[in-house]
Amino acid sequence: MTEHLSEDLELYPLGILDDDAARNVERHVASCSECAERVAQAQAVAASLAAALPQATPSPALERRLRESARPRSSAKRRANVFPFALAAGFALAFLGFGWQTLVLHERLAAEDVALVTMVHSHFNHVSMSPESATPVAAKILYARDGSWVYIIADKPAGVLHAVAHTAAGAADLGALGSAGETATLLLHPRERIRSITLQRGGIDVAAATLAY
Amino acid sequence: MDEFVEAFAARRPSGLEQAYALWSRLFFSVARHVVSDNALAEDCVHDALMRVWRSPNRFDGNREMLKAYLITCVRNESLGMARREGRRDARELKAARLAPVTSVDAPVVDPVETQRLQAALERLPEEQRAALTLAYYGNKTQVEIAKELDVPLGTIKSRISMAMRKLQTELASPGGNRS
Repeated sequence: MTEHLSEDLELYPLGILDDDAARNVERHVASCSECAERVAQAQAVAASLAAALPQATPSPALERRLRESARPRSSAKRRANVFPFALAAGFALAFLGFGWQTLVLHERLAAEDVALVTMVHSHFNHVSMSPESATPVAAKILYARDGSWVYIIADKPAGVLHAVAHTAAGAADLGALGSAGETATLLLHPRERIRSITLQRGGIDVAAATLAY
Repeated sequence: MDEFVEAFAARRPSGLEQAYALWSRLFFSVARHVVSDNALAEDCVHDALMRVWRSPNRFDGNREMLKAYLITCVRNESLGMARREGRRDARELKAARLAPVTSVDAPVVDPVETQRLQAALERLPEEQRAALTLAYYGNKTQVEIAKELDVPLGTIKSRISMAMRKLQTELASPGGNRS
């Protein structure tokens, strides 16, 4: 059995350890009930310290965001709301400087509206994919800063595009982008943080991008 | 196990909703204290809660333990966000304005508990109180605290660890406000 940790157990709930030390605590307490108990006690003290902070109330939008994020994806279809969400998504994309004159969001939007709402209300990054072949495709990736969702959009895909994700665990085929008029899109809720994405057409790489969090 | 804690651990939306209903102001206050920005603070609360709620977890504690655990998650998320956003200057300015418990610019979550905490903090040796206060209310790292107080890093770790354990004993005792 490994040795118990010392002071880092009390320091952990304060958030003052460096990343390596914090991960070490997390790994250790996963298999050491004695140290886990000490961390739990320190967390209770940290909660008391937190209770002395000046109190503030979050906006109602936060509760709505959480409800939307927690909603099972299978029950996310709310066609009555498609139009406002399409507008919101359109504004969000236009704001980011997309040059496309027409953003066609077909019926697939109904299944993706929860993510689009999250997109509109949350902080996210975007990156242009670099061309990778003689017949590249213009594509962008929008992704949540916490890595909870990734949205791939390709312009004039000229065929079926497959997305391949690269994570710490290796490469994984994400499947084909769905066609939506002039564009093809794919929405993901990855379980692991994606480091980079490659688009393939007929097994040949046509675009790639690295995601920076 | 508490029914609501069980619902949270089982990743049922009702568990998340109840946790939010009970402690949203606390979570938001913790995040806001670190990132000094309401919108960013809401992002931190959202991301921390969703990360915990979505993860397969083996949480089997009680309601208070869940609260303490989630507060830790929100704080760590917020500190990470503050680093990413490069808002150190802003949060230090804010931290300077938000003294721990003696200068409160809005009602605290629980005035009675806050009084108990303040009394317990006052009973700590000065060097322990200073190190802990800089860590939690000043949002400083242990390296920064060591530099600011001009003592070795190991000493800072010991002081904060001892302060936390003393507070734990004090706050756990009934009344906990002996003098």
